[in-house]
Amino acid sequence: MNRIGVFICHCGINISNTVDVDKLTEFAAGLNGVIVAKNYKYMCSDVGAQLIKEATREHTLDALIIASCSPRMHEHTFRGVAEESGVNPFKVEIVNIREQCSWVHKEKVQGTEKAASLLKGAVAKAHLLEPLQKSKSAVVHEALVIGAGIAGIQAALDLANDGFKVFLVEKEASIGGRMSQLDKTFPTLDCSSCILTPKMMEVGNHPNIELLTYTEVVSVEGRVGNFKVAVKKKPRYVDMTKCTGCTSCVAACRMKGKVPDEFNMKRGKRSAIYIPFPQAIPLKCTIDPKSCIFLKTGKCGKGPLCVEACEPKAIDFTQKEEIVTLSVGTIIVATGFDLLDPEALYEYGYAKTPNVITTLEFERFVSPSGPSEGHIIVPSTGEPPKSVTYILCVGSRDETQCKWCCRIGCMSALKQVYLIREKLGPEVEINLCYTDIRSFGKGYEEFYRTIRSKGVNFFRGRPSEVRSTKEGLVIDIFDTTTNKLFEIKSDMVVLVPALVPRAGSEEFSRTMNLSRSSDGFFLEAHPKLRPSDTFVNGIFIAGCCQGPKDIADTVAQASAAASKAAAILSAKELENDPMIAAVEPELCAGCGVCVAVCTYKARNMNTITNIAEVDEALCAGCGACIAACPSNASIHKNLTKQQLISMIDEIL
Amino acid sequence: MAAREILPVLGVDAVYPEDFSCCGEHVKSVNQLITLYLSARNMAVCEKNGLENIYVPCSDCHLALSETKRVLNGSAELKERINTALASENLKYTGAVTLYHTLDLLHDYIGVEKIKSLVKKPFNGITVATHYGCKTIRPTEVGRPDNAENPQKMEKILTAIGVNTQPYPEKLDCCGASLLANLPETPLTKTGQKLKAIAEQGFAAMVDACPWCHKMYDSKQAKALETVASKSAVPVVNLLQIVGIALGIDKEKLGLNLNSSPAEKIAAEVTAS
Amino acid sequence: MSINDQTSMAEPQKEIRQEINDRLKKLQDEVSEFCFQCAKCTSGCEAHKLLELEPHKIMALLKRGLIDEMKNSEIIWTCMSCQKCKERCPQKVAPVDVLMALKNYAVASGIEVPGKYTDMLQSILSLGLLQEPQETMANDGSTKNRESLGLGPVSRPADVNNLMMALSSIAIEKV
Repeated sequence: MNRIGVFICHCGINISNTVDVDKLTEFAAGLNGVIVAKNYKYMCSDVGAQLIKEATREHTLDALIIASCSPRMHEHTFRGVAEESGVNPFKVEIVNIREQCSWVHKEKVQGTEKAASLLKGAVAKAHLLEPLQKSKSAVVHEALVIGAGIAGIQAALDLANDGFKVFLVEKEASIGGRMSQLDKTFPTLDCSSCILTPKMMEVGNHPNIELLTYTEVVSVEGRVGNFKVAVKKKPRYVDMTKCTGCTSCVAACRMKGKVPDEFNMKRGKRSAIYIPFPQAIPLKCTIDPKSCIFLKTGKCGKGPLCVEACEPKAIDFTQKEEIVTLSVGTIIVATGFDLLDPEALYEYGYAKTPNVITTLEFERFVSPSGPSEGHIIVPSTGEPPKSVTYILCVGSRDETQCKWCCRIGCMSALKQVYLIREKLGPEVEINLCYTDIRSFGKGYEEFYRTIRSKGVNFFRGRPSEVRSTKEGLVIDIFDTTTNKLFEIKSDMVVLVPALVPRAGSEEFSRTMNLSRSSDGFFLEAHPKLRPSDTFVNGIFIAGCCQGPKDIADTVAQASAAASKAAAILSAKELENDPMIAAVEPELCAGCGVCVAVCTYKARNMNTITNIAEVDEALCAGCGACIAACPSNASIHKNLTKQQLISMIDEIL
Repeated sequence: MAAREILPVLGVDAVYPEDFSCCGEHVKSVNQLITLYLSARNMAVCEKNGLENIYVPCSDCHLALSETKRVLNGSAELKERINTALASENLKYTGAVTLYHTLDLLHDYIGVEKIKSLVKKPFNGITVATHYGCKTIRPTEVGRPDNAENPQKMEKILTAIGVNTQPYPEKLDCCGASLLANLPETPLTKTGQKLKAIAEQGFAAMVDACPWCHKMYDSKQAKALETVASKSAVPVVNLLQIVGIALGIDKEKLGLNLNSSPAEKIAAEVTAS
Repeated sequence: MSINDQTSMAEPQKEIRQEINDRLKKLQDEVSEFCFQCAKCTSGCEAHKLLELEPHKIMALLKRGLIDEMKNSEIIWTCMSCQKCKERCPQKVAPVDVLMALKNYAVASGIEVPGKYTDMLQSILSLGLLQEPQETMANDGSTKNRESLGLGPVSRPADVNNLMMALSSIAIEKV
C-alpha cells in the first residue's frame, strides 16, 4: 500500500480564489492511501519545498501528489524535491488545478468540485505509479558548428577554448561570412576586417578546431549526445596541401574579369579560379565549376592556363566530392542571412538602372578590397557622386514583403552616410528617407546625434518610386516633418533592403528537423528565456539565422549557444527521461508497425526474438507507437492505459 | 469600332448582347452599392445569355466588374442582397463569368504568336510609348490583366507587329480622366504633362489600352497641350487600332479618321509587303 | 477622458469612424488602423502635386475620428482613383477606398454633390447609361454618329423602369 502525500498550492490567489483549498485539503486527507495533506501559498518556493520534504520525512511517504499549476511549469522542480526527500522522482503526480480548473471557472463551488474530482483521479493513479529509473547514454565530447560567419566563429572558439574538439563547417570557400564583406562597423566605426581577421586566424590555427570549408551538411541523424552528421566536401579542384595562395592562377585564368563576383554582390568580376577575398581563411584557391571552361566543356584552349601558371602544381581536376560522417554531441547552427532582392519593390528601380544599389553593395564599393578599391562611385560612370539618397525600410515592416523590422537598417544607413561624408567631403548632398530611426543599442543614439551634425538631409517618409531619367534619378518624397513634397534629383540611390532567411533555409530546416517562425527564421525554444535553444535537444542556434540582429547581439548569442552546448559536452553521460515507450514482450506480435511509425528512428525489430525494441536514448515519448500498436504491446511508462483508466474510473 | 473589326480576324467569336447598362464605375464616389449592382447586373446579363467570357475593352468597366466579382464572391451577404435586387429584373449573378481586357485577350487568350502569324502589314520599327492606364494594371489585389509595376504585354504585342517600344520614366503616370466629373480642367494638365514628356523623348506615337485614357490623350490633346504650353502634337492610337493596321484592316474601319491627334500618320509607317 | 482638436474644436466621432471602418472591412481586406504614416501614398499620389491631396493625412484624420472635417471638404473629391496608394502601401491600407467611403458618406449625409455626379446618376436612372451616344467629328470636318459609322444601336437596358426601381431600392441600403 502506498503512502501518499498531497500538497495543494494556493498559487497566490490564482488557485485559492476559485478553489477552496482548505476544504480540498480536508477532502484529500480522507482519500484512500493519503497519509498527509497540506496546503501552502507558493508550493514552488523554497518554503514550499521544505514543507514537502519535512512531511515526507515525518510520514515516510513514498509517492507525492502536487495539486498546482500546469506540470509544464514546475514538474521538474517537484521531481527534484521528491528526489531530495528520498522519493523516486517518477512517483510524483502533478494535478493541474490552475490552468485546467481555477482559471476556467468563475464560481468557487464548481471550481472546488472539479479540483476534488481531479485529485481523486490522481490518487488512483499514484497507487499505480512505477519507480522509474533514468537510463544513461554516452556523450560524444565533440561539437559541430554549421556556418563560419562571426556567430559560428565565436561559438567555435568558445567551445574550442573550453577544451572541446569542434568541427566548423562552412559552405563557402572561406570563413568570415557577412562581416567580412563590411567595411566599418557601427557605432564605433571599427574596421570590420581588422576586428574579424584575428578571430579568423585564431580559428584557422586552433588545435581544437577542424575547419571544413567549401563543405555542406547533407543529413543529420541521432540525438543529443550522439549526432551522426553527413557532410559533403565539395571539390575545389585545388590540392590544399600544395596551394600557397599566390594567385598566379587567378591572374592567368581565361575567364579573368568575366565572372560576376558573389563576394562583391555581383558588382565586381573575378576569374573562374579565385580566392574570395584577400584575408580569406583558408588562403587557398577554389575553382568554380559553373564558370570554369575546362570543367564545363572538357577543354580550355590548348590547356588550362591555371595549370600552366601554378608552380606547386596544385590544380587537380580529378577531385571528386567526398561525403564524410561526423560524430558529435551537440550542433550549433549559425547559417546567417540574405538581403531581400530589391526587385521585389520594382518601383524603386533596382532592375532599371545600375545606379540603384543595396547597402551591402555599397559596403563593397567603399571597402578597399572591393570592386572600386574603396572609392565611392556612381556605378554607371565610375565618377564620385554629387548626391546620394538612401531609402530605408525597403521591403521591411511591409505586409506585402517582410513584416518584420530588419533591426540593423537604420544604423547601417547612418554608418554608411558617415563614410560618404568622410570620404567625399562636405559638398556631397546626402539624403536619407526613413520611416523611423531605430538607434536602440549602446552608443547608437549618440551615433545618430553625430550624424545629425553632418549635414545630412533627413526626410521622414517613404518614396513611392525612383524614376530613372536622362538627368539622373528622381525621387518624390513627402516629408511628414515639414508637410511638404520634395523632389530629389540624385546620382545614385542606396536601398536598405529587409533581412531574410538564407536561401535554402526551408530545406535545411528539414534536414536539421528545426522549426521556423512565421518569418522563416529558425525558431528559438523561448523568445525571452531560451533564445539560443531550439526544440531539438542538443541543437542550438546563433546569429541572424534566428532573426535579424547586429554583430554585438550575434556574438552574445553565439557565446550563449556555446555555453549551452558545453554543458552537454562536459557531462560524463546524459540521463534519459524514462517516461518513454516500452514494449510488453508477451503481447508483441512482431508486426513492425511501431518501427514504421517512429519519426525519431527509436524503434527497431529484434530479428532473432521478433520482438520490438525501444532505443531509450532516441525515444522522445511522443506516443505515436503506442497509438499505432495493434496488440497493445507498446506502452508509455507511467502513462499506461491501466493508470489512465483508474483515473477515469475514480473521477466518474 | 476597331475591336469589332479585329476580333473576327483574330478568330474570336464575338456576341454583342442587348440589355447592358453603365458599369457604374464613375458614380462609385456617390454610391458604391449602385456600382456593385450595375456591374453585377452586366455580368448577370452575360450569364443569362449563356456566355462564359466577357471582353471588356474599357479599363474602368473591367476594374468595376473585377472588383465587384471579388467583393461579391467574398461576401455571401452582399451577394444575396444584390441578387435580391437583381431578381426584380429577372437576373441572377453567380460570378461564373470570366473577364477579359484587351491586353489579356490579345496576349493570353489569342496569343502573341497567332497575332504575329496574321500580320499582313508589319510596321517598320517605329518606337512608341506604351500607356497602360491606372485601372488597367492596378490594384493587383483584384486581379488585373498585367503586372502593376512592370507591365509588358503591350510591348510584346507591339513587337510582334513590328513596333518598337522603349521604357520611359512617366510610363505609369495617370491621365486624370476620373476627375472629369467634378474637376474638368485639372486632368488636362496631367494629360498634357505626359504628352509633353513623350514628345520630348522623341517617341513616334503613344499607344493606349483604355478608352478613357484615349479620350484624354487623343480627343482632348489640343487643350491638354495648351495647359503645359507645348505645341508638339503626338499621334495617339488605341492598341486595337495599331494592331488592326498591322492586320491589314482599312484605317477608316478602325476609326483612325476619328482620332483628334495626328493618328493617321501611323498608318503609313508600315513596311511595304 | 476626452480629446479635443484645438484648431477645429472637434472631438473624435467614434461611431462614424466605426461605421466607416466596418463598411471598409466588408468591401476589402485592408484595415485603416494599421496605417503608420510612412506617407508612401502621398509621395506617389497622382492628385497631390496639382490638387494637394494627402492620402496619409486622410488616414490620420480617420484614425483620429475627425470625419466632419473631411466630409465637408473639397479635398476628398480630388482623388483620381489611380490606385497607386493601394498598390504600394506597405501596411495594406487603401487610402483610395477610404476616400471612396468618405465620399459615399458625405453624399449620404446630404452635402452638395460636386460637379456632374448628380447628372450622371440621373442619366443612369433614366437611361441606364452614363449618357446617350454622342456625335463625333472626323478629321475631314464631317459629323459622324453610330449609324453613319455602321455601328448598330448601343446595348442598353431593355426595361429602364425596372432598372430604376432596382437601383432606387439598393441605393438607400447601407453597405
